[in-house]
Amino acid sequence: PALRSLFLFMHIMRNVVLKLYIILCVFPEYIVGFTGYFSAKARSLYISSALRSAGDGTLEWHIVPRENPASDFPSDFELVHIRQASPSSLLTLEDHPYIKRVTPQRKVFRSLKYIPSPEPAAPCNATRGTQKWQSWQSSRPFRRTSLSLGSGFWHATGRHSSRRLLRAIPRHVAQILQADVLWQMGHTGSGVKVAVFDTGLSEKHPHFKNVKERTNWTNEKTLDDGLGHGTFVAGVIASMRECQGFAPDSELHIFRVFTNNQVSYTSWFLDAFNYAILKKIDVLNLSIGGPDFMDHPFVDKVWELTANRVIMVSAIGNDGPLYGTLNNPADQMDVIGVGGIDFEDNIARFSSRGMTTWELPGGYGRVKPDIVTYGSGVRGSGMKEGCRSLSGTSVASPVVAGAVTLLASTVLNRELVNPASMKQALIASARRLPGVNMFEQGHGKLDLIRAYQILNSYRPQASLSPSYIDLTECPYMWPYCSQPIYYGGMPTIVNVTILNGMGVTGRIVDKPYLPQNGDHIDVAISYSPVLWPWAGYLAVSISVAKKAASWEGIAQGHVMVTVASPAENDVGGELTSTVKLPIKVKIVPTPPRSKRVLWDQYHNLRYPPGYFPRDNLRMKNDPLDWNGDHIHTNFRDMYQHLRSMGYFVEVLGAPITCFDASQYGTLLMVDSEEEYFPEEITKLRRDIDNGLSLIIFSDWYNTSVMRKVKFYDENTRQWWMPDTGGANIPALNDLISVWGMAFSDGLYEGDFTLADHDMYYASGCSIARFPEDGIVIAKNLKDQGAGAWFNVGQQPCWLTGNFLICVSLVQI
Amino acid sequence: MMVLRRLLRKRWVLGVVFGLSLIYFLTSTLKQEERTIRDRTLLEVRDSDHRIPWKVRFNLGNSSRQITQCRNSIQGKTLLTDELGYVCERKDLLINGCCNVNAPSTRQYICKSCLANGCCSIYEYCVSCCLQPDKQPLLERFLNRAAEGFQNLFTAVEDHFELCLAKCRTSSQSVQHENTYRNPQAKYCYGESPPELLPV
Repeated sequence: PALRSLFLFMHIMRNVVLKLYIILCVFPEYIVGFTGYFSAKARSLYISSALRSAGDGTLEWHIVPRENPASDFPSDFELVHIRQASPSSLLTLEDHPYIKRVTPQRKVFRSLKYIPSPEPAAPCNATRGTQKWQSWQSSRPFRRTSLSLGSGFWHATGRHSSRRLLRAIPRHVAQILQADVLWQMGHTGSGVKVAVFDTGLSEKHPHFKNVKERTNWTNEKTLDDGLGHGTFVAGVIASMRECQGFAPDSELHIFRVFTNNQVSYTSWFLDAFNYAILKKIDVLNLSIGGPDFMDHPFVDKVWELTANRVIMVSAIGNDGPLYGTLNNPADQMDVIGVGGIDFEDNIARFSSRGMTTWELPGGYGRVKPDIVTYGSGVRGSGMKEGCRSLSGTSVASPVVAGAVTLLASTVLNRELVNPASMKQALIASARRLPGVNMFEQGHGKLDLIRAYQILNSYRPQASLSPSYIDLTECPYMWPYCSQPIYYGGMPTIVNVTILNGMGVTGRIVDKPYLPQNGDHIDVAISYSPVLWPWAGYLAVSISVAKKAASWEGIAQGHVMVTVASPAENDVGGELTSTVKLPIKVKIVPTPPRSKRVLWDQYHNLRYPPGYFPRDNLRMKNDPLDWNGDHIHTNFRDMYQHLRSMGYFVEVLGAPITCFDASQYGTLLMVDSEEEYFPEEITKLRRDIDNGLSLIIFSDWYNTSVMRKVKFYDENTRQWWMPDTGGANIPALNDLISVWGMAFSDGLYEGDFTLADHDMYYASGCSIARFPEDGIVIAKNLKDQGAGAWFNVGQQPCWLTGNFLICVSLVQI
Repeated sequence: MMVLRRLLRKRWVLGVVFGLSLIYFLTSTLKQEERTIRDRTLLEVRDSDHRIPWKVRFNLGNSSRQITQCRNSIQGKTLLTDELGYVCERKDLLINGCCNVNAPSTRQYICKSCLANGCCSIYEYCVSCCLQPDKQPLLERFLNRAAEGFQNLFTAVEDHFELCLAKCRTSSQSVQHENTYRNPQAKYCYGESPPELLPV
């Protein structure tokens, strides 16, 4: 007995959590237990007869009704409320032949006394360190219809209504997403091949029961995970114990594509992807990404994977909260791009957001991420054993990959599961978060059980993302809802993605047509000639018809799109699916010219088409200008400020010769890198003579600094020379020289005050020449050219005139 | 303490310290460069004395195997190649996965868009050309000399069809400077040599 109590003690101590019960007796309710199952009527009869015989009849009592699904059926107990019961009356109750016993009702309070397990406490900075693994930009750094269920667009997430535990107990993500419901049905991911592209996994890790294969694609001769990231990601997907993953029985294929120094090369990925295709992988998790969507071999290979029925899941990026920070390949139409939320359903601060920027300057970007899920403080497998907590979209990505693997295993007819159908199921079932726009949350947060329901009743079809256009819906349809449309304005473009679950390749049949509804608007459509792989674009361009030039109100209509794919079971035949895209817009009368501002997007260039250095030289972490330079991406604050002052801002995605300047009060040129055609210069001069104003934010241009920001890129193994400075000041000088104005190549920085506003001037030039009869407002700032420290990459440098002296820290 | 300080102030002591640090710095930097150079070439070099243990089954000539069902290349926008070497349009694909040989546009062992160096512009034609029986010696030579970096892929390939599907895909051999194609046009190669660099 002493030994037994010792074991018991040890067992309790080994459990990290001690559960404590506090049981209160709730007077005066009693549970009356019967000897068998009786109907409600019979039960009340027995109780009333028993209590009648109890004596004087002054006993006040009534049966407490229990309204639940079991109330229609016979039960073996009844809950009775007896006022001032005496022990004798209870005894007489028990005397009844059919009554077994009477016990007082109890109320149970449980509280978890949590003892944290003895793992090293990871300070906040440590987890942020793991998500900010950024080697040089162009390598692949870490960080990384009828389908709707018929309910309204806004779903309750319980965030504002229900009481929720505010203590920061680390959550078990698979259970929060109710994966146990699917486990109990017998679905655990078996028969699904999932590939983890990461830092590898150690041999015989206790958490994994079905590691089919580990392969190494790096130049380090090891298959093990020296960092812990790959183990964590694999654990979130398929761990079978402790911090359990979604699909413990899935067939894991571990691809080690990163070295222990978090270095990887496109060429390694190409070979590893080829192997994944050969092995007929079903789901592939890629918790990495970068801004280079023009890495054609890589992008082509991801398309090839999708075309070979591999469901790609990738992290949208950790460069938030700035807009215009989406990473590739998560920004692709055929890939499921995943953003991060915390356990309070707030978008994680680091989660990348904003529209895609492939389509600039002439078009408009697509909505990404596709869905969001938990990526903050998620628990997963530790490197050797045990569990640890990590944050980042590279954590949210395997949550979705694990969910996808589990979902794939629930479908009887595996032929129905393909990259499009899975994506359609996830986005149709996602629960929208209130107060967040679509370029932050996509379609909302992952709902595993609803996705299961949709996937298991799926029939091959096409769908649209977003599935409707409502330019009045705020804040979800920001930025569209932030400015109504009017006659004469630049067309509003919505870049809709077509998802085609019927086949790898598809096409739009005939031209989509717009029925004669909402004739106040003109809708123009363009679309991909071929929908491959599994997806394509549908660009909807909305402008106000001339007849509504002075009209105000809401216009509605819809577009019908029919998609066709070759049918596999019918030679020469096609499967078709027709989708409806509702459109709703708010129209206002055309504002006066003085209230209309035109943003020049055409001359804003950014990486990856070329190497454009960052605008603020003091910023250490991001050497490239890659955020799109659009008013709805990194210049969002400027846009919102202008809107709040009552201005209407439109975007010019074409050369200056392509707009009617009499419609606009001001042309806004911010951070222009592109050169100007002679025709543009002539036309602009005429426009300004006719009343157009021009505002230029000139940035910096200094040849010694540009020479210094050239660097040797490890990934491409080449020297990168910047294509221009922060802005193309020589080109701007060509533009403004006709008025006798010019910018200098000086470099200045400092604080200043204009009226009541305190401002910071970061790495800009000065005005070298201006007409004498003009007005110049000047301020003395720190001349970085006269000798000042600032950072070029990681090195602190001293700029004096034409010389730039930098201190290099040599790594030994 | 004072003695030590005085010693450290002596010029020759400082000179020795400086000299040793300089030697250490030089040796470690050079060593690091050497290591990275060696690692980088690992994937590019063709190792003639290290054979990968490939096990591809080639079906030569008269195959007694009855073809009731075909595997095919599944991925194409408009074209597909089946395991018998026929290229057809998607609409001419039979229910069993084989190409309809009677359709007017179906061709077998077609090397359209393929150059003399064995690199083609269209993936499906590369696979079809590769499946031609007379390509077998070429493929065997490639396998015998394939670099260790391709070990994973080409040891897992089981037959002629899988070999051609895998061989024709773009790979680390197809790129220069990691993110650019050596030849953006003819980038699918069944032959031994990587795509020729396009002149800039």
